Amino acid sequence: MFARNGRWLTLLSQSLGTALLLSACGAPTPAAPAAAPTTAPAAAGAPTTAAAKPTAAAAAPTTAPAAANKTPVVLKMARNQEPGIFVPWLIDDNTALFTMANVYDGLLRVTKDGTSVEAALATKWETTPDGLTWTFTLRPGVKFSDGSPLTSNDVKVSLDLARGGQRTTWKDNYKAIKEVQASDPGTVKIVLTQPHAPLLSELAMFPAWIMKADMATATDAKGYDDTLAWASKGTGAYYTESWKKGDPLILKRNANYWKNTPTVDEVRIEYVPDDNTRVLKLQGGEDDIVDFVPFSQLSALSAQPNIKAQNFLIQQSTFIILNNTKPPLNDVKVRQALNYATDKEAIIKSVFFGQGQAMAAPIPLGTYVDKNAPGYPYDLAKAKALMAESSVPNGFTLPMIVANNNQDRINTAIILKDEWAKIGVVVDVQQLESAAQRAAYHGEGNFMATPSAWTNDMNDPTEIVNYEMRGGEGSGSFAYWTRYNNPELSDKITAADLEQDPVKREAAYVDIQRTFMNDAPLVFIANLGATAAWRSNVTGFAIDGLSYYRFEDVALAK
Amino acid sequence: MGRATYIRNRLVLMVFVLFGVTIVIFSMVHFLPGDPAAILLGDRATVQNAADLREQLGLNRPLPEQYWMFISGLVQGQMGTSLMFRQPVSEMVLSRVPISLALAAYAMGLAAAFTLFFGLLAAVNKGRLVDQVIRVVFLLILTTPNFWFGILLILVLSLGFKWFPVAGFGVTLQEHLWYLFLPALTLGLQFSAVLIRNLRSQVILTLRSDFARTARSKGLPERMVLVRHVLRNALLSTVTIFGVQFGYLVGGALVIETVFAVPGIGQLLFTSITSRDYPVVQAIVVVSAVLVIVVNLIVDLSYSFLDPRVTYE
Repeated sequence: MFARNGRWLTLLSQSLGTALLLSACGAPTPAAPAAAPTTAPAAAGAPTTAAAKPTAAAAAPTTAPAAANKTPVVLKMARNQEPGIFVPWLIDDNTALFTMANVYDGLLRVTKDGTSVEAALATKWETTPDGLTWTFTLRPGVKFSDGSPLTSNDVKVSLDLARGGQRTTWKDNYKAIKEVQASDPGTVKIVLTQPHAPLLSELAMFPAWIMKADMATATDAKGYDDTLAWASKGTGAYYTESWKKGDPLILKRNANYWKNTPTVDEVRIEYVPDDNTRVLKLQGGEDDIVDFVPFSQLSALSAQPNIKAQNFLIQQSTFIILNNTKPPLNDVKVRQALNYATDKEAIIKSVFFGQGQAMAAPIPLGTYVDKNAPGYPYDLAKAKALMAESSVPNGFTLPMIVANNNQDRINTAIILKDEWAKIGVVVDVQQLESAAQRAAYHGEGNFMATPSAWTNDMNDPTEIVNYEMRGGEGSGSFAYWTRYNNPELSDKITAADLEQDPVKREAAYVDIQRTFMNDAPLVFIANLGATAAWRSNVTGFAIDGLSYYRFEDVALAK
Repeated sequence: MGRATYIRNRLVLMVFVLFGVTIVIFSMVHFLPGDPAAILLGDRATVQNAADLREQLGLNRPLPEQYWMFISGLVQGQMGTSLMFRQPVSEMVLSRVPISLALAAYAMGLAAAFTLFFGLLAAVNKGRLVDQVIRVVFLLILTTPNFWFGILLILVLSLGFKWFPVAGFGVTLQEHLWYLFLPALTLGLQFSAVLIRNLRSQVILTLRSDFARTARSKGLPERMVLVRHVLRNALLSTVTIFGVQFGYLVGGALVIETVFAVPGIGQLLFTSITSRDYPVVQAIVVVSAVLVIVVNLIVDLSYSFLDPRVTYE
């Protein structure tokens, strides 16, 4: 009955079939966060000196968190992604960033509104009149979670690795630094190659978070096992003892924290990739907080008695990247026409369920944003007139590539197809697997248009302006993959980084934004937010301007 | 050929099959468009950053060299390092295999129970209302997408009756069983929908066979005829389908593991494919292939227990 001639063939086909099936399953992916993390403009203030903010008590309590007989307060959170690497200057994903914001501190910290910086590990900072040397006084008595004291050497070693380590991916942000000196255990001096206005904001950014010197040095060694950093020791409110991918990540309260005593003793963060499941877990009381709540569910969730859901406006915007080198998109009139033909309010209403603001300025709503920018109000007549004057008065076909795992962007593309048809532009929406889509617009630049987004990583516009608006070969990303290149604008960007006077800097950035807006390398759509929902016994949870959240501010009632 | 020789030959064949699998999967993941370095670094990556990372990860080396590293590592039990998590792949994958296996076994256990009960019930009540209801209900279950069916079960059994947790995996063995029940039920019901149809028709056919008539004429009660004679014979083809389904399942129930947040290899595969984490995808496929082959072997061996006439030639 079962003599198996050719049985191996059956086996082979079964096995290969499995392989094919498995490798073909690339379709939907867990909701990906828009782009990268952080944030915003900033640093407006803090001109030259000081602003010493004796924020918190010097020495921190060393006593154990929960009194022996008290049940520890455990907060449970479900998140849409698992974190990657925990070393500050190697961080390249939002989830690691959001987690480590609770573990590490920098010399400075971004304020909650995401528009300025405040004291953290440094309580005082001042610069010499030429703007070339900055002196930071460390907060006295700060200890790492293992009880060892923070010294200027820890700061020096960490900053040196962030700006010059073999593996750092963020060195471009710190190239203005010539030298970091640990003058005495309580003081750090930073010497610059030239005056650099965004320095304080860059020091408040995550790659400049401070690790213990020995641990920091170890991370740069060849063959370092990055999983060792999953046991973290920082000066922040929490620390991690260990972690394994697939397991919940547990943040434990740091009894040595310098700022205050968090009321939550332990935060358990689990990975629940499915949007609906996260929400259901919150409703079922299995989690206290969930992130990345679909816009479509916000109002229904808010209406429930035990749940609060909110969209926090962060420094994030969404737009369409146009390839400025491909005809007819190399014609500024065509690009402007597309902007005027875009009904931003309709997209915000249909795609983002009203949770957003039409983009008038080209950078997210943060420091030095051009508050009076005219933007491109929806004006079909103007769009048609511009098309008539353009190189393609009769319209054209515009292929638009969209990642197939991002429904918001797919929906945006579909609405644009309808809207732009009114000015003779036939949008051909092509859904691609997300990695293939990124390869197309990053690599060869063989694309015409694709929806994308930006989130500020720092509270100063220097990041977005240098990354999104500076063009040419040396620009790194070809002006956020648009291949736009306006040398005059690039010079203005360089000058703005050197300008020390905040008033003049603001004027320079307004000028830069107006020029960029007028050239319309992108189709500007909306400023967006980050969503979260929590049970009503949770208080103090908020997502700040740069999309961080800090559990030290959260309390959990029984 | 004895059973031992048969098993030995099959295991030898497995080596060749696995070799084929490694070539296919290596080619597929490397020829897919998408640069892991660009994905790892996100949209902010500069061209230079991405080039540096490719160099660091060894993605610039010639493909044959990369394949050789993959295959020679595999022979030594090393599956490389995850591009995304910079963690040894073998640890990541192997620690998840028991979870997916447990989920698969749990689901198939439930499926077997449903199949035996409802398959026999439908067969002996052929054409009656019970039979019609069973067929219609399981047809509906079969045609419902499993992610939606899973959410439906969560809504009713977790949020409504509060009998089971919504999703997750738990910490203790008892919790694991409790947490895995709903995903196992979702998969089990869907699999049993296929199996029930098959078992029902086989039982109906076998009930008409000569040996069943003989058994009855010997005076055996109908229940004995059904269980001892009919069922054992009717089960052969159902077991074949069962084995194939189980084989697919041990490779990870991608969607269900994602919906129910079960940290198995399906969920890992899901994220690894999107992030072009080559070493992880390759390792999961190889491990899955091994599991599929082993499960198929076990199924083939089980035939001789069900039907002693089966020999291995």
